Amino acid sequence: MHEASIAQSIIKTVLEQAEQQNAVQIKSVEIEIGELTFLNREQVGFWVNLGFKDTIAEKASIHFREMKAVIHCKSCGYQGYLQVQEDPAYHLSLPQFKCPNCSKTDIEIIQGKETVIRRIQIMKP
Amino acid sequence: MKTVQPAEGETFDIELEENLLKENKSLADKNRILLDQNNIHAVDILGSIGSGKTTLTQKLIENLKGQYRTAAIAGDLTTTIDADRIKTAGAEVIQANTGKECHLDANLVKKALNELDLSKLDLLFIENVGNLICPGEFPLGAHQRMVVVSTTEGPYMIVKHPYILMESSVLAINKIDLAKIMEVDLKKLKEEALKIKPNIKVVFTNGRTGEGIPELIQALNLPKK
Repeated sequence: MHEASIAQSIIKTVLEQAEQQNAVQIKSVEIEIGELTFLNREQVGFWVNLGFKDTIAEKASIHFREMKAVIHCKSCGYQGYLQVQEDPAYHLSLPQFKCPNCSKTDIEIIQGKETVIRRIQIMKP
Repeated sequence: MKTVQPAEGETFDIELEENLLKENKSLADKNRILLDQNNIHAVDILGSIGSGKTTLTQKLIENLKGQYRTAAIAGDLTTTIDADRIKTAGAEVIQANTGKECHLDANLVKKALNELDLSKLDLLFIENVGNLICPGEFPLGAHQRMVVVSTTEGPYMIVKHPYILMESSVLAINKIDLAKIMEVDLKKLKEEALKIKPNIKVVFTNGRTGEGIPELIQALNLPKK
């Protein structure tokens, strides 16, 4: 249940930023969750909504987007998405931590482990 | 119906690019610096409740005695059961209790590091809270991650938790003596792990008897002293 602690920092960051900008209302919040995080979007949303209650963000619409995982191959220089083997029949999604281009394993994850608040939309008095 | 709307220019977009996990990451980076300054190699050990993390840690410490000056941080919600067990192996142990949190974080590890005499250590095992999901999110500053899965967790642990292997260098498949009773195909577990992460080192262990511990030590490839 680490979603609660992530949600708490979303709530804190959004409200602090809005306050700094003298906002009277927060209209929307855009959050990107990395493909390689261990977060359940719905749970995060639930906690954020709960935390926004009785604040200027109470009516904010919260948008989540997935941030694809991007890797860099130190062997061949490939930079792009991580290969994921999907099998919808079993709800199976198996990532493959190797270069999809040259199959070497000396790869570096350069995107997809983060959770980022991209943008908030506020109203000023 | 009366409605009110903001006039042009009253709504503002604020670009943030605020990474929410950066606080933990920056603390983890600081832990790493502190460990490096003291020439300590740290291993973060992950696995479900009851997978055998503590037993393997005990056995690792016993087998490495005389070679490395070792300490351990035992993460748990509450109690000092794990720390007491590891202590019997002959290492200094700090119990890091999270209260209700399901994972260790870099801040708690920092506090534990403050309690250790780092100048007298070469090796540190950090046993995370029993959980295969949440700890994945929180780097602690360790140099490598080892994952423990055991046959009593059933045959699907690897395909159900593929992302935990992401940044792990070693996978210990524990309780191999129970594989047959549990109808777990060890070879298949290993194949699945290698399919997800072709360069992970897979070792079969039995924490109780110590079987596979020398192989596990070899797989960890600890820095030479």
